[in-house]
Amino acid sequence: MNKASFHILRVGLAITFLWIGLLILKDPVAWSGYIGPWLLPYLPVGAKEIMLTTAFFDIIVGLWLLLDYKLWIPAGLATLHLGTVIIVAGINAITVRDIGLFAASLALLFETFPRK
Amino acid sequence: MTALALIFTLAAIGIAETRYLITKRMEGNAPVCFIGQDCHKVLVSRYNKILGVHNDILGLLFYLSVGFITALIVLEVPTSLPLVLFLGVMLFVGSLMSIYFTYLQGVVLNSWCFWCLMSAMTIWLMTIVFIFI
Repeated sequence: MNKASFHILRVGLAITFLWIGLLILKDPVAWSGYIGPWLLPYLPVGAKEIMLTTAFFDIIVGLWLLLDYKLWIPAGLATLHLGTVIIVAGINAITVRDIGLFAASLALLFETFPRK
Repeated sequence: MTALALIFTLAAIGIAETRYLITKRMEGNAPVCFIGQDCHKVLVSRYNKILGVHNDILGLLFYLSVGFITALIVLEVPTSLPLVLFLGVMLFVGSLMSIYFTYLQGVVLNSWCFWCLMSAMTIWLMTIVFIFI
């Protein structure tokens, strides 16, 4: 991948994660509406707590992507997270965009995964 | 909210940019210069520090602080109003510093540094956006 394209992808993804994390932190209850109802009975803690954890997770991943250190780790975490979101929330008018974000994270993971 | 999202985004771009400059300096490599060839000349000049601290580190701290304060304002913490005022003061001082650094490049060093200009533009844009909050 071209170096400039790579950094544009990295910073763009980082900003998305940071901002979403912040928005979830602001109103975790509203965001918990995206958790599929089928999953709620199986959650070990409340939906609000799950969303608060997600918010901090998103902010950490975003900051890590921004700081460009051992990128395969935050890229892997982002891929796993977005894959989980697609499964948990299902695909609707909002989460359809997560497919693009998932693909972007996966591209970043492939690009940064340590090779022998 | 849109204005705050823009300031936050610009702060994140600033963090990525200063992080890149710090890495290049610590590795002893010249950064990529998209416009002209004078980046290195500006970055190693005698004006690259303030009170013994490299400008790239000061820039990183500035952008991290702006991002953090903007995040607190978005979260509507109880002290939001003083934070908005503090953010305004930070951006105003940052803009003045950017004018000074741009003057140094154009008049004193007679060389332009792409990354320094980009940082200046980032801070000026944040300030313009802040005015419209």
